[in-house]
Amino acid sequence: MAPLTLYTVSNDLVSSLLTALGNAIPNPVGAWLKSPDLITGLSVLVFAAILLAASMLNTILLIWWERKLLGRFMDRRGAMHVGYAGLLQNFADGLKLFRKNTFQPREADSLGFYTGPAAYMVTSLILFGILPISSGWNSGALPLTLLLALAIFSFAPLFIFISAWSSNNKYSLMGGMRSAAQMIAYEVPILLAVVAVVIVAGSFDLTTIVYEQQNYWFWGPLVVALIVFVAGMLAEMERIPFDLPEAEAELVEGWNTEYGGMLFAFFMLADYLRALVGSILVVLLFLGGWTLPTWVPAAATSFPLAGIFWFMLKTYLVFGLFVWVRAALPRVRTDQLLRIGWNRMIPLSLLSIFLAALLVTVKCLPFLGCVPSPGS
Amino acid sequence: MQPADLEAALRPKLGDRLLTVEPFARTAGRVRFRRDGALDLFRTMRDDLAYRHLSMVGAIDWVDHREVFYVLWSDERTEYVLLSADVPADDARIETASGVWPSANWHEREAWEMVDVLFDHHPDLRHLLTPDGYAFHPLLRSFKLHEPEELEVKTRHV
Amino acid sequence: MSEMWINMGPQHPMTHGLWNLRVKIDGEMILDVDPEMGYLHRGIEKISEDRHYNEVVTLMDRCCYVAGFAWEHLYILASEGALHIQPPERAEYLRVLCDEFQRIGSHIMWYAAFVQDLGLMSPFLYGMRDRDLVLDLFQSYTGARMTYEYMRVGGVRSDLPPGFTDRARQVLDWLTQRYEEYDQLCLGSTIFRKRCDDLGTLKAADCVAHGVTGPMLRAAGMKRDLRRDRPYAVYPQLDFDVAVADGADVTARYLVRMEELRQSVRILRQVVDWLDRHPGPVMAEQLPRWLGAPYAPVGAEGYLLKRNFPKGVGFSSVEEPHGEAQAYVVNEGGEHPYRVKFRSPVFANISAARQYLVGYHVADIPPIMGSVDVCVGEVDR
Repeated sequence: MAPLTLYTVSNDLVSSLLTALGNAIPNPVGAWLKSPDLITGLSVLVFAAILLAASMLNTILLIWWERKLLGRFMDRRGAMHVGYAGLLQNFADGLKLFRKNTFQPREADSLGFYTGPAAYMVTSLILFGILPISSGWNSGALPLTLLLALAIFSFAPLFIFISAWSSNNKYSLMGGMRSAAQMIAYEVPILLAVVAVVIVAGSFDLTTIVYEQQNYWFWGPLVVALIVFVAGMLAEMERIPFDLPEAEAELVEGWNTEYGGMLFAFFMLADYLRALVGSILVVLLFLGGWTLPTWVPAAATSFPLAGIFWFMLKTYLVFGLFVWVRAALPRVRTDQLLRIGWNRMIPLSLLSIFLAALLVTVKCLPFLGCVPSPGS
Repeated sequence: MQPADLEAALRPKLGDRLLTVEPFARTAGRVRFRRDGALDLFRTMRDDLAYRHLSMVGAIDWVDHREVFYVLWSDERTEYVLLSADVPADDARIETASGVWPSANWHEREAWEMVDVLFDHHPDLRHLLTPDGYAFHPLLRSFKLHEPEELEVKTRHV
Repeated sequence: MSEMWINMGPQHPMTHGLWNLRVKIDGEMILDVDPEMGYLHRGIEKISEDRHYNEVVTLMDRCCYVAGFAWEHLYILASEGALHIQPPERAEYLRVLCDEFQRIGSHIMWYAAFVQDLGLMSPFLYGMRDRDLVLDLFQSYTGARMTYEYMRVGGVRSDLPPGFTDRARQVLDWLTQRYEEYDQLCLGSTIFRKRCDDLGTLKAADCVAHGVTGPMLRAAGMKRDLRRDRPYAVYPQLDFDVAVADGADVTARYLVRMEELRQSVRILRQVVDWLDRHPGPVMAEQLPRWLGAPYAPVGAEGYLLKRNFPKGVGFSSVEEPHGEAQAYVVNEGGEHPYRVKFRSPVFANISAARQYLVGYHVADIPPIMGSVDVCVGEVDR
């Protein structure tokens, strides 16, 4: 039996529904309903809808998680009134934003002003769609998933800059410039750090990378790459200490100063979606994805949806780390940020590539653990 | 420093442009001077008597004339001194102190817009607390509270 | 990007109040600045000419919303000088109690706002949490958390409630522990040091020339504190050190303020002990009738009668949390002051903005202006 994946599930769902419907309705409409083309098309739609719902749900949960965690770090409680422990607070906030009027500054460029948020949102959603979350939850075996994910990830500064520039606000423009400079500076070390993972795993396919970590998660042997990757991700997600593009102390709200209502909600959701994707990438590349170490009793991985459960647990813990950083660190300055990126991160990532190559050659390093040889 | 010492130090430099030096609570004294001696007095206070810190410039409207007063502080002797000059109401102007103490800049701007005392050679005599084009001088006695005024305020920047 | 002017204010997260910092920038570099004040101008000096001496105290609370007591004290000192009134000693100690707790409250408020400008979010809430304890104390003996109206010409309005000194000691103990936490969060952070060291430098000579006082001046290595140099109230009887630092930069200002927080705790312990041992009156006797009635409402019998006071001018200066504040009160024999003029320390500190802002980055404006500790209420008055 073929492995149960998200797509096969939605395919089965749609085909059984349409077959039943087609049998009940006389031809030619019934035959058309049962045609494989329609079934395929509709199951893709269902597949996308499930992905959208899952990503939005996770994003909103992530915001709740951040608010609660940040509250505890700050000696307060966070959201607590709407729903159990404030779980529904973000839905209420979202509803509020949804009902708000959409407006634009008088001199703003409409085309850029409206397409910017939409494109930013869409690219972030695609990201969630191509990442595997468990052995079943993936969008088919794309051989270059990792590369594709990072390529889409790096689209963001373009759309941020478009929306910032078209807002016709000096603060927005400065935020957009900072955003572009920052993301370009941190793309490079992130890619180089990923190269270290790819060297050890021997594949650009995220599923393969996860299965290569069956014995040893990569965070031990590739700790340098992990540091570079996490720091780079912090910059890509624009979170403290690298949230300069929207440094509210000097730039009001940075590149999304002029956005309100649902357009602002788009940016906010996309930001957290990117944070989610960043955490997912850390889990996939360094923390073994949905797998658990072999010494864990089998019962821990045999219950239904165990893969997704462990994966999301890891993801939320990684995001918790980002929240911790946010609660504890001040913001760096633009020039310092760029200097860290170009002068520290790139040499470090080159070092991590060297270490990865060394690791593949000698197989085992003291204290850091062993890795399987590529393709084994 | 006692008022007599102050007078002894200042009289040779200023001559009759120095009017009186009288005792004043919590300070070394109040130096009354004629306004044409302003700049010489300022320089002497700063350079010879080490009053390097100008704390405050203010003006009082006495209806028939206006008084400009300066509060100085010396770190060496840890004491204040007050300077005060009378200017006629119909020609209320005095030399700026901002060339001697840069800190006078804003205080004089405020005194100008509030009490209508013009400071000659001030580098930047603009409105500070009131809007540009504000035609009133609120701290004059003739400016009555409780009487609504009509004014049109122009914005400073577009 | 070519040169352009941007308006940081009047509504901007950096301003902490209502003022406008016009900045001329080239990319991220600051070429010129032009502070614009007046958005919060309420004409306090003018209104004071229309009020009785004790009624002006109400306005003083509105001068600076985080340091109301210091301004009350300043005005009270000046008008007591103008009216030749001497308050009892216990009232003087109570005023110092107010002043120093106010300094703690103000500095903690500064800390909270300053770290938030740097992007540090948690200490902001820690600061607000701890400041609340101080406000609770204020509330317990003045009934208000911000606008106290507690000091009176000739003394203070009321004595402390029972059990106050014990509560005050508990708060002081708690604060002493928290100061360590503050330091760990800031000085222990490499990013904090990288952001704040050698930032917004203003050397002592420039400070003096531009009239800059308070923690900014002491951070430049100049040991000037009016509580030491021109003591008022009962400061000569109290044992404390003047906080100084050498850097003249943002870090130095941070260090000075943190040290002042500790010194204030030290002063307060002495004051609280003294207050425990020396009960007594808190209002001067033989006051003019309308001044001696602390609870009398406006318009009460005898309140509005013309009195013949000796003409005189009162001048006072206090070390406010932000720096050196001065008051100049002219009494012309009526029941209102003839003219009141205040010197706000922040007024002078902001006027020197060009000296410590030009040449740094746009991102440096919030920490630098944060280290100035702007309180617009007292700048505009």
